[in-house]
Amino acid sequence: MSYFPSLAVFFQIIINGTFLGTMYGVAAIGLSLIFGCMQVLFIAQGTMMILAAYSVFWLVYFMSIDPLISILIIIPVFLVLGWIMYKGMFQRVSQAGPSSTLLLAFGLMVFMESMMLFIWSPNIRSVKTSYSTSAFQIGDITISVSRLIVTVVAGIATCLVYLFLKKTMTGKAIRGVSEDRVTGMLLGINPNRVSAITFAIGIAMAGVAGVATCLIYPFDPYFGFLFSLKALIAIAFGGLGSVGGALLGGIILGILESLSSYTISPGWADAIAYAAFILVLIFRPQGLLGKAADKV
Amino acid sequence: MNKNESQYSKKNNSKKDVTGDDIFQMKSITKRFGGLKALNDISFNLKKNEITGLIGPNGAGKSTLFNVATSIYKPDSGKIFLMGENITGKRPHQICWMGISRTFQLAKTFLSMTALENVLVGAIYGHKPRARNVRQHAMEVLELVGLETKSDIITSQMTLSDRRLLEVARALVSQPFIMLLDEPMAGLNPSEIKKMLHVIEKAHKERNVSILWVEHKVEAIFSLCNRIIVLEYGQKIAEGKPEEIAQNNNVIEAYLGKPSS
Repeated sequence: MSYFPSLAVFFQIIINGTFLGTMYGVAAIGLSLIFGCMQVLFIAQGTMMILAAYSVFWLVYFMSIDPLISILIIIPVFLVLGWIMYKGMFQRVSQAGPSSTLLLAFGLMVFMESMMLFIWSPNIRSVKTSYSTSAFQIGDITISVSRLIVTVVAGIATCLVYLFLKKTMTGKAIRGVSEDRVTGMLLGINPNRVSAITFAIGIAMAGVAGVATCLIYPFDPYFGFLFSLKALIAIAFGGLGSVGGALLGGIILGILESLSSYTISPGWADAIAYAAFILVLIFRPQGLLGKAADKV
Repeated sequence: MNKNESQYSKKNNSKKDVTGDDIFQMKSITKRFGGLKALNDISFNLKKNEITGLIGPNGAGKSTLFNVATSIYKPDSGKIFLMGENITGKRPHQICWMGISRTFQLAKTFLSMTALENVLVGAIYGHKPRARNVRQHAMEVLELVGLETKSDIITSQMTLSDRRLLEVARALVSQPFIMLLDEPMAGLNPSEIKKMLHVIEKAHKERNVSILWVEHKVEAIFSLCNRIIVLEYGQKIAEGKPEEIAQNNNVIEAYLGKPSS
């Protein structure tokens, strides 16, 4: 059953898609930063999100900590976790080339999925809060409070990362190394230090996206890979190497998914998203928003 | 500057490898790529406050030599000394901290940043311990190369000539002992070349920096250099004062081919 929505329904779809896409976008920012700085395709990004989601689940379950407060715990923990993962694994393995780091990321993903299965069982979990089901109306449009909160939090995290890269000297060093690693090194930037910081930020972004996800969706240990793929699509849409682009790419993906679920059928949403992904890669490899690479 | 000089002499006395004014030495450096010897048993010294030219036909090994000097490549054999200290096998960013900086043939400024930001990155990361008043340092070098009015321009919007000058500024701001210039004149027009020559001369005089300079514009290099080293097929075929090099038969053959008798 397919038909075109009325204007109010259309706006509702756009808003829902934006909420959904913001999560993809935040995960994509982390992925994009990590890839830009050290050419590592961190395919375990989505699994890190799910790890954050389970952590929130425990914090709520055992300590009754509100998920929004738990962000303040998740971010520092994931920053440290990212730092350790880079220093302990990726710094060493990256010397063997990009295919080794991809395999490492893949192995990590499977390892974490198995651990989560063991610890939390394959049952689908969800996090309930007092505001889980509350919503308000603007005209004919319904806005869910938890989704709005999640989107605002994601927006703040994005702004912070953007400002960090733009304004601080460490941020400039990260941008420099991402643009040209050799030049960065010859200017005295220690590439491993910069990469460790970038990795930590990327993982922390996965943490933020994970907290956002668990407020809205039920999840199980295998959910992560799907989010990694969605983050990849978001990067393909937005173009590699820009924070705003990754977020916008995520939002485009979210809107595309919710539009196609409504007008065609939810079963088709993923197929359409991946088809769009392939088309973008073929016809606009620099991304819908990215500039064409400078020809030398 | 006196302080700097006493530092030089202190280091010189304490290490045996340095003789007189030599601040940089390459000793029997060999670098192979597969079966090709890109550098074959190269030895030379750079003296304090000298401008040394490095010339040779394409593929002679000039870029490889720069990459070995800055530790982008590890030499297969041989040693490199800076101020008497063995720096072979140090990592590139450490080489920069120790006092070697370089520019690139392709003018690799960070394109998403302004001129000032580019220089600030060099000022903050290029020198250990971290210099104070980095912004002031940065403005000084921008002034030295004549870009002080363009400090807020994003470098992707600058001309090639300006980006080359910016690279010189960025190389100077880390307060190096030695600056490696990789074809700073390539692709520049005559008036830009004149400007660049002036900047190199000024940088050399005001900053007390030794320069190793790769260049295809032979007139430019002969006008400024104290000494010239000639490479061909990875080997050093001549070294000496410009007027000696101009007379050297090996060099003439390398550039013009053997005279058919």
